Amino acid sequence: MTRFVKPLRVRLFGRRKKGSGQDNSPKDLQKDKVFSDQELQNLGLSPDLQANLLQVREILSECSDVVFREFDFAQDERIKLALIYVDGLVDKTQVSDQILRSLMLDAPLVEQGGEFTRARAFMLIKKKLLPMHDLKETNNLGQVIDAVLEGAGVLLVNGHACAIINYSRGWEGRKVEESQTELVVRGPREAFVETLRVNTSLLRRKIKNPNLKIETMKLGEVTKTDVAVVYIKGIVNDKIVAEVKERLNRIKIDAVLETGYIEELIEDSPWSPFCTLLHTERPDKVAANLLEGRVAILVDGTPYVLTAPLLFVESLQTPEDYYQRWPVSSATRLFRLFTIIVSLLAPSVYVAIITYHHEMLPTALLLSMAAQRELVPFPVFVEAFAMEFTFEILREASIRLPRQVGQAVSIVGALIIGEAAVRAGLVGAGTVIVVALTGIASFAYCYAASMSIRLLRFPILVLAGILGLYGVICGVLFILVHLATLRSFGVPFLSPVAPLNTGGLKDTVVRAPWWAMLRRPRLIGMANPQREAEGLKPAPPPAGRKR
Amino acid sequence: MLEGGKIDSKQAILLMVAMVLPTAFLSVAAVTASLAKQDGWISILLATLGALLIAWLAVSLGLRFPEKTLFQFPEVILGKWPGKVVAFLYIWWYIHLNVEVLRQYGSFLVAAFMPETPISVFMLLIMAIAAYAVRNGLEVYSRVNELILPLILVSVVILNILAAPEMSMKRLLPVFEHGAVPIIKGAVMPTAWMGEIVTMAVLIPYLNKAKEAYRIAITATLIAGFFMLITQLADVAIFGPVTAAWLFPGLDAARVIHLANFLERLEPVVMVIWVAGVMIKISVFYWAAALGSAQWLELKDYKPLVLPVGVIIYALSIMAHDSLLDLFAFLGMFWGPYALTLFIVGMPLLLLVVAVIRGQGGSRH
Amino acid sequence: MRKLLACLALLIVVAGIFSGCWSRKEMSELAIVLGAGVDRTPDGQVRLTLQLARTGALAGGGEGGGGRGATTWVVSGTGSTILDAQRKLAERISRHINWTHNVVYIFGEEAARHGIRQYTNYYSRSPQPREITWVLVAKGEAKDILETISQLENTSAQDIGYLARAKTGFSINFKDFKVMLATKGSNPIASRVEIVERGVTLGPEKEKSVVHKGAALTGTAVFREEKLVGWLDESETRGLLWLRGEILKGVITLSSPTEPGKEISVEIMRGHTEVEPYYDGESVWFVVKIVVEGDLLEQQSSEDITERDVRKAIEEEMAREVEEKARLALDKAQGEYGVDIFGFGMAFHRKYPREWAELEDRWDEVFAGAYVDFVLESHLRRSGLLGKRGSVRE
Repeated sequence: MTRFVKPLRVRLFGRRKKGSGQDNSPKDLQKDKVFSDQELQNLGLSPDLQANLLQVREILSECSDVVFREFDFAQDERIKLALIYVDGLVDKTQVSDQILRSLMLDAPLVEQGGEFTRARAFMLIKKKLLPMHDLKETNNLGQVIDAVLEGAGVLLVNGHACAIINYSRGWEGRKVEESQTELVVRGPREAFVETLRVNTSLLRRKIKNPNLKIETMKLGEVTKTDVAVVYIKGIVNDKIVAEVKERLNRIKIDAVLETGYIEELIEDSPWSPFCTLLHTERPDKVAANLLEGRVAILVDGTPYVLTAPLLFVESLQTPEDYYQRWPVSSATRLFRLFTIIVSLLAPSVYVAIITYHHEMLPTALLLSMAAQRELVPFPVFVEAFAMEFTFEILREASIRLPRQVGQAVSIVGALIIGEAAVRAGLVGAGTVIVVALTGIASFAYCYAASMSIRLLRFPILVLAGILGLYGVICGVLFILVHLATLRSFGVPFLSPVAPLNTGGLKDTVVRAPWWAMLRRPRLIGMANPQREAEGLKPAPPPAGRKR
Repeated sequence: MLEGGKIDSKQAILLMVAMVLPTAFLSVAAVTASLAKQDGWISILLATLGALLIAWLAVSLGLRFPEKTLFQFPEVILGKWPGKVVAFLYIWWYIHLNVEVLRQYGSFLVAAFMPETPISVFMLLIMAIAAYAVRNGLEVYSRVNELILPLILVSVVILNILAAPEMSMKRLLPVFEHGAVPIIKGAVMPTAWMGEIVTMAVLIPYLNKAKEAYRIAITATLIAGFFMLITQLADVAIFGPVTAAWLFPGLDAARVIHLANFLERLEPVVMVIWVAGVMIKISVFYWAAALGSAQWLELKDYKPLVLPVGVIIYALSIMAHDSLLDLFAFLGMFWGPYALTLFIVGMPLLLLVVAVIRGQGGSRH
Repeated sequence: MRKLLACLALLIVVAGIFSGCWSRKEMSELAIVLGAGVDRTPDGQVRLTLQLARTGALAGGGEGGGGRGATTWVVSGTGSTILDAQRKLAERISRHINWTHNVVYIFGEEAARHGIRQYTNYYSRSPQPREITWVLVAKGEAKDILETISQLENTSAQDIGYLARAKTGFSINFKDFKVMLATKGSNPIASRVEIVERGVTLGPEKEKSVVHKGAALTGTAVFREEKLVGWLDESETRGLLWLRGEILKGVITLSSPTEPGKEISVEIMRGHTEVEPYYDGESVWFVVKIVVEGDLLEQQSSEDITERDVRKAIEEEMAREVEEKARLALDKAQGEYGVDIFGFGMAFHRKYPREWAELEDRWDEVFAGAYVDFVLESHLRRSGLLGKRGSVRE
């Protein structure tokens, strides 16, 4: 053992001046040293409790939230124990009741009449005295530190170069609540929370299948964030899983605070304004995506989960589509397609018509528009641009504003800017209507897609201002070509429309009834295409069976 | 391989239709009606028949060398230098074709929609989009086409239905008034249009299922022929003897639509059809020209050639014609015979005959 | 490449902004033409009259108070061509003249008599005017027609447009007019527009009431080839419509078969005309088959129309009435004007394409001498809400 400890000590305390000797008093700690991961992983534990504690204190110096609780085992002063944990990350009742109480007070009850020797203590503690659900043993200091920081209580036993990690995690976190950003009328209401374990449990509860695999890894050199890759073996295309994992492993970054970090580091087309990974906070949506053969990426600390591959048609879909009756859902989807077009093109088509293509309006409408515009001093392009800009200001403000003043924004926005600007003759009423319509339309479909489309609205508006309808068409063509170049984990972004897959069309702008959607999306769920039995269409029982 | 993409049969059919139809939709009726009068539709039928033969010719030729394009197999058939010459001529043809299409494209927009705007702006913008598409490869613009073409076809049908109240089928009578000669003359230009199906000989190596090439070429020709036919019939039924005077009867057919005092002024739809369709058409020929040049120069990738070829096409089409009338005279009088005899029928036939005599190319199929 | 494309895009944007967005025209910079008229001055010049919308005065409700002053502004300019005249007008109009919404295109009588082809070319060559504009011929000067005001509509041009659209008489749009001009075997016709008394705007006292004169459609202008030769009045126009087989709306009024002096009115619901030409190498004759269906809606007499014989008699009377009208128009066309305005030539062309080649150049002569036989079929389909008359004592 000394052979092991010595070089270690030299390495650890190498810079100490001679004569400091074996004194382990805290004031000699080296507070400035920065330990790298590599270093920590190479450190072992020593049988000497004090030495271990010293090292840990040194590593966790100036971490006021770390608690070092030293105590005796079963009131036996020969056997010294120390519990290290981060205050706030552990469940305090568990630590007091099931660790401290059990080891200090209940131990004698377990081994009545028995002699506690140092040698036996360790085994006893591990086997009989820690009624914890999850225990782990390690002799690596790096792992000890990691465990402590993850919220485990680590128990060091004097005389043993081993530590017991008690997973007694329990911190203050948000409860599983109703989703705030993706609301449905019919369907489950729960949303993911910031805790990874809770999130995986939400998924596991929906898919009770051994093939639901949850692989975890740590990303972020500094933050050491837990990241889980979730998929259903047997449904998922293994190549996509491998690709996801490979791309995740490539990431070398200090911190992963949200799935957005990961998204930008693993997507196929980093320059595109469109996102090629879906993010959602709805477990039912993730579960449905997993069941179609997609891969989900969960990150600790955020309720947003990524799923891949993403198709463009998914921006038309909401979970509710699958719960509502299909004719309603289909109509809603067509309507959403329309809102996408409106939110992308309405202002630019308006500008194009008003400034270039007067012939497109019916005569009566042209006359009333012209009468309206008589008083407006600005070119309609400037006006539309300014109004769009104003709308963006209002939108952004209403997200950031404290809830109490939200009302004020809507009053100022609607009344003062809208009404007064029209009244003062600064802005045509038509422009206000178009801009308002555009704004509302952009919230009618998938929020992520609407962000991209809102962004693209401005260049198209400029094109419309310069070239009229021709500019608009060219802008749309450019976007189409761009969309056609996009792929999400190898799957063409526009599939199943282009490349066309007639079976896949059942779940695009319309939603076929469940008994007709027999297959998973072709390019995603091709490993196991059949998702339901044929002939499920409900029908009255055949005449013979009627009594 | 130079082009990594592969497209499936459906995409190939749509691509071949999109390559023929958008420009034809607008002005085919004027061309045929000026020669064949009200019998123009017979010209279209004849032209479709002719195009079917051309399609058969091109595919037979192409399938003898399923790994090689039109720019590569002439070398195998005719030997290195004669082959290179033939391939070069085809590259030139694709560039020339594109020059004319681009010019026609810009001219239409200037004449019909925005007379004050310089034509170069229209051409530059569409070339930029086509260049972006071509650079991203066959697969990408095939996908774009898959989205666009069905919309175009549906719009064409809807426009014709909406214009129906203005039509009088009596204007198509009497049939065969002036005999067969004008009808055959009227068929030349549509044949040259639909004969662009020889592009199949470039496309075959990039098909998922090369064996379906016959089916693809024939289906595409029939679809294109059908749409040309209904456009022709509709335009003549609307305008009768005036059809030949319009430069773009397709546009004017949309302009006369008026239903319920609300559904009128639909020419922007024509603009959408025209811009989107021609974008695909230009992309196909542009791609063929760039790919051909790369294969001719035996490069590893055609992408570096996209820009130079584009600049050549753009510059040539700026210089090509003084006026719109000049362009139309050129297309009407010269283009048909030039394209047909040399590139659409002449050389493929020559190549096929030589290949058959020399027994070259796989009869593995 | 990406950068290059970005540069190109930027270039276009910059070029666009600096060259002032070529075709851009703000709506408030437009002089919207709603009606256009062409007259021929005594020295053979073209006088173009435009009725422009005064958009400022059209503002409906709300801010600034609408309806300030007249809704239209009529300007005239003279030049040697239409475009030349328009150029001259442009010197006097502060805005861009925009033809895209022109509703009516009116030819003055003098202009029409001197040949109309020289005035139609600009209209189809320029991309702005539309082919579905109504073509009319003014009795007198087109300028006077455009200078009227409408009591019901915003502008008199729109008023005339709505009248034409209602198809109570013969109305034709520019495209069909052009096809007529281009077709051998038919002569163009267009509706006649004339200023008549149209109604009374009431004042507080009888004396202050204003009799309102306005433009109305009063028949049809008949052309030989491209020159105006005469008119058909309203009842002849009805005959013309029967012979051309145009969609008909209107009423046939006939005298009661049993009670002389009393009349019966039948509303036409459906009509159908077939013209069958015959040629034996020397003479040409036509059989015109007209089918008419109508609803009896007014009856001055008191016969019982539930009886089959009475209905038969009424139907016969209907047929006679229709034939009479048709004869009226036919006689005028064959006799007075000697022009085929019914498209009989086209029917002949379709049936005898070879013989047509010999006749086409002297078709109007042939037509004038052709014998026309009528075969009429009439049906009384319904009788409104009444069967027998309700107010008659039995």
